[in-house]
Amino acid sequence: MIVADQLVKVFPGVRALDGASLRLEAGSVHALLGENGAGKSTLIKILTGVQRPDQGRLLIGGEAVTLRSPTEAAQAGIGAVHQERNLIPAFSVAENIALQRLPIRRGLVDRAHMRAEARRILGLLDVDLDPDVRVDRLSVAQRQLVEIAKALYGESRVLLLDEPTASVSPAEAELLFTVVRKLADSGAGVLFVSHKLEEVFAICDTVTVLRDGRTVLDAEPIADHARDDLIDLMVGRSREALSFPPRPPATQPAVLELDRISTAAGHREVSLSVRPGEIVGLYGLVGSGRSELAKALLGLEPIESGSVRVRGKNVVIKDVRQALAKHRIGYVTENRKEEGLFLDQPVSRNIAVTVWGRIAGALGHVSPAREGELVSMWVDRLGIKLASSRQLAGQLSGGNQQKVSLAKWLAAETEILIIDEPTVGIDVRTKGAFHELIWGLAADGMAILLITSDLAEMITLADRVLVMRDFRIRGELDNDHHYDRTSQAVIRLIHSKEI
Amino acid sequence: MLIAICVAGYLSLVVASGGAFASGNAVQTFFQFLPVPVLIGLAQMIALSVGQLNLAVGALGGFLACAMGVLMADLGVPAPAAIVIGLALGAAVGALTGALVVFTRINGFIVTLATMTILIGAQYRLVGTRTVSDYSPGLKEFGQASVLNIPLVFLLALGVAALVAMFFRAAAPGRRMLASGSNPLAATLSGVSNDRSVILAHTLSGLVVAITAVVTVAVSPGVNRSIGGDWLLPSFAAPIIGGAVLTGGTAVVLGTVLAAFIVRLVDSARAEFSLQPSWVNFVVGAVVLGTVVLTRARETRRSGGSS
Repeated sequence: MIVADQLVKVFPGVRALDGASLRLEAGSVHALLGENGAGKSTLIKILTGVQRPDQGRLLIGGEAVTLRSPTEAAQAGIGAVHQERNLIPAFSVAENIALQRLPIRRGLVDRAHMRAEARRILGLLDVDLDPDVRVDRLSVAQRQLVEIAKALYGESRVLLLDEPTASVSPAEAELLFTVVRKLADSGAGVLFVSHKLEEVFAICDTVTVLRDGRTVLDAEPIADHARDDLIDLMVGRSREALSFPPRPPATQPAVLELDRISTAAGHREVSLSVRPGEIVGLYGLVGSGRSELAKALLGLEPIESGSVRVRGKNVVIKDVRQALAKHRIGYVTENRKEEGLFLDQPVSRNIAVTVWGRIAGALGHVSPAREGELVSMWVDRLGIKLASSRQLAGQLSGGNQQKVSLAKWLAAETEILIIDEPTVGIDVRTKGAFHELIWGLAADGMAILLITSDLAEMITLADRVLVMRDFRIRGELDNDHHYDRTSQAVIRLIHSKEI
Repeated sequence: MLIAICVAGYLSLVVASGGAFASGNAVQTFFQFLPVPVLIGLAQMIALSVGQLNLAVGALGGFLACAMGVLMADLGVPAPAAIVIGLALGAAVGALTGALVVFTRINGFIVTLATMTILIGAQYRLVGTRTVSDYSPGLKEFGQASVLNIPLVFLLALGVAALVAMFFRAAAPGRRMLASGSNPLAATLSGVSNDRSVILAHTLSGLVVAITAVVTVAVSPGVNRSIGGDWLLPSFAAPIIGGAVLTGGTAVVLGTVLAAFIVRLVDSARAEFSLQPSWVNFVVGAVVLGTVVLTRARETRRSGGSS
């Protein structure tokens, strides 16, 4: 009933989709699988009219269509439950369901009709909810059901569910599956995106696998494939890990240790350690709590229990300033645009911001010459390409921006560096250069905690890989830089059954 | 709670003034000048409902009042025509502001700051230092008229408030504006155009400001360049005290009206006891700040408790 044919979508620096195809049949639940960055979300966004493909066709009922907006997608009978929650908290259940097309009678919203329609759809789902209750009074799972009802409003025959069970309990997920099954049995086509393979095997009929923006398994019955087959397909065997000259094994005692840390953000019993000259990788799916852990470590999120040891001493880190000045810990954020750089300031200032205190004169005056010296040293060392150090950071390419954001911490003479998603949105060549840089830093004795969702990057760089899921460390692997073996071991840990 | 404050405040004013404040005359004056804070509060509330703000409330009101005065007194335009022109102009300026915010992606704060300055200049250009008073006696009569001792202009303001409340409660565009203000991303994914909501909000805000200008022209003996100069603070005071959320998604019509009542009370107390006008600014400013801090504290406690 809905076919995506060879879709291509290019973002600056990344080919998010590169020949992705999908065939969704009426009356079936279809799984869409793929690792982080494989292109699932982009595909969903194209199917719901949020984004348009650069190439390729979309066919509904055999006819080519162009979806320009979510409204057009809804009119074409496609409803979606996105990963982000999309309800208006202060509105009633009924109004949220009908928001797409509020029924109007004599110029005003027809509440009676709205309520009746909401009741009908909720009844279809066998969900017992008062349409008049405000959404902010509902549980997370109930809201999820309202989202489904909303997606079904206006005769949707296709339902896209993006990670619908990410934040609900197993019992609530069970209810959700019953609803999904029921919808498919009544003739709807359901596209189910999930990282949880057990769920996929439990309710899906057919499966499509994306890898690097390409469809590598096209709408085949799920019964024909074993769990491990699908994992192999998701991970792929094609990519070779880059290899660098080996570093001497890190033997000095750990400089950064976390001992059974629990945080307000939800981490439980997280322990890890990093030695000088070691790269420890922290791998996990988006939302598994990795960046939050880094932020907790820097005092941006409260730590509730457990201890942090820096160079063997128990410490409490209050804020980034203290982390930097006292403990020499730097954090290269994943959001370089929002958190890492001052885009409308010159590169020199961006690099020197962490060291002004150190290089300032007696009266607090920062000598431009001193600043310039320091900046040009780091520009040379990291190979940042720019016309002049007066150039604004916002004018640089993604890769160079990221280098500036790194240079800032290096200039501050950090000894422990937390690097969060260093190469997102950076082209392949710069990526290689960046990996070399990180490798070199470790070889010079830096202790590095590397957070990344890019498996190849992880396997290229890390000495050890910790796998995080649901705010807990689920396992640790020694990395032999052998892509096939390690990647599968990591993915198995991620998809391992609930413990 | 607000109602209680209103009643208590009014009663204490009556007592403090030795009963003078309960006399028919005083009551009438009180309500005659209540529409302005009510209406400018509503105008600001409409902008706030989508997460925008409108710094040009006073400037636009002053400009429109002077424009209507000049049209009638100097150019001999009949009052109804002048009013229609004023209302249309107000809505047009609002629509233009909204369009600027949407199409240039410049923050609404900056855009309305600029339009405010431009309008103040235009107002000065129109009337200079003179006071225009020689206009429609009919309109002035309307400004003084009352039913059962309740001024017509006050009833007009209540009518506008009722319409605004109805708009946000039951009209589809109003609901969409609230959806945009509450969660723009969710609104987009539900097929609601945030751009349209912003433009509509500024347009309606401009229209309500224009109604305020009409009321001002009607109740004032004349219009000059000082009109609108002291509207900005009360326009924020009423919705904020009334419970509006600055980031959008709320429309608190009743709260705004009651809070405007309180603002007016402070002003009357000032007049009654011949206090410095700056005292009013001080009190209103302090109350606004206090309300924001209180709301913020309550929110923090609530979110802290649930997590």
